[in-house]
Amino acid sequence: MHPLRCLVLVAAGCLLIGGCAFVRGTYGEEVNSMDLSSIKKGTSTRAEVATVLGAPERIVEVNDHEIFQYYRFDMKSGLLLFFSRTNVISEDVFVFFDANGIVQDIVVGKKKPAPDMQFWPFGE
Amino acid sequence: MRRVIGSFAVCFAIAALSGCGPVIWQRFTLNQPITKDQVAFIQNGETQLSEVARELGSPDEILNLKNRLIARYHFIDTKYFRINFGWGLRFFIPYYTPDLVLSGGGAGTDVFDVACDSKFVVQETAFAFHKSSSRFNLWPFAD
Repeated sequence: MHPLRCLVLVAAGCLLIGGCAFVRGTYGEEVNSMDLSSIKKGTSTRAEVATVLGAPERIVEVNDHEIFQYYRFDMKSGLLLFFSRTNVISEDVFVFFDANGIVQDIVVGKKKPAPDMQFWPFGE
Repeated sequence: MRRVIGSFAVCFAIAALSGCGPVIWQRFTLNQPITKDQVAFIQNGETQLSEVARELGSPDEILNLKNRLIARYHFIDTKYFRINFGWGLRFFIPYYTPDLVLSGGGAGTDVFDVACDSKFVVQETAFAFHKSSSRFNLWPFAD
């Protein structure tokens, strides 16, 4: 290959890569099933939940029930040339307490698929 | 030589258009939309909130209403387009770069609300669709 052509190809490659960015970010800890299984409905207290899962990001009060909300976000973002796409999946955990501060219910969703790494913003 | 210069010009144009260049299409999505088929299993007055979470994933928000709560599932789809017609002038006016920006977009949201009683049994469900407001808007002056 001609040296100039090779140089052009390398330069083009560098420029294309220069316009790329792939970013991954998370917010909050992923709650593992071992921790959740140690929380027992009807017996575990607020303090025990806080010991296992940490302090909640948000506390909601509903009819004398306290609800601990633990945030969890997973983000992937791709930028290629002038196209950018960011996908975020949320997986929060909620722990419901009765009026005495005992765990009444735990709302944990099924594991959602991880967000896709995409840069093409069109289509679905 | 002309071909080489042409190739460099193409490379330069690509570099100019990349990243923070004059044109960009951006899209941001939060979660995947929930369909009516996915929520067909919910029986008002019978299904527990924890069962809903097992099927759909945990909700994004819980609202406190009088004697009941509402679990909300959010989906957001935001599209944004931006073009800066003044971008190229930086090569002719070195100390001042005028901008002439046309941009537009929209954020479409879907919300699935699950209303529960004080025992966390589902009483009602509802969708709120605004997804069509998410679009790339090339012309911001339209009505």
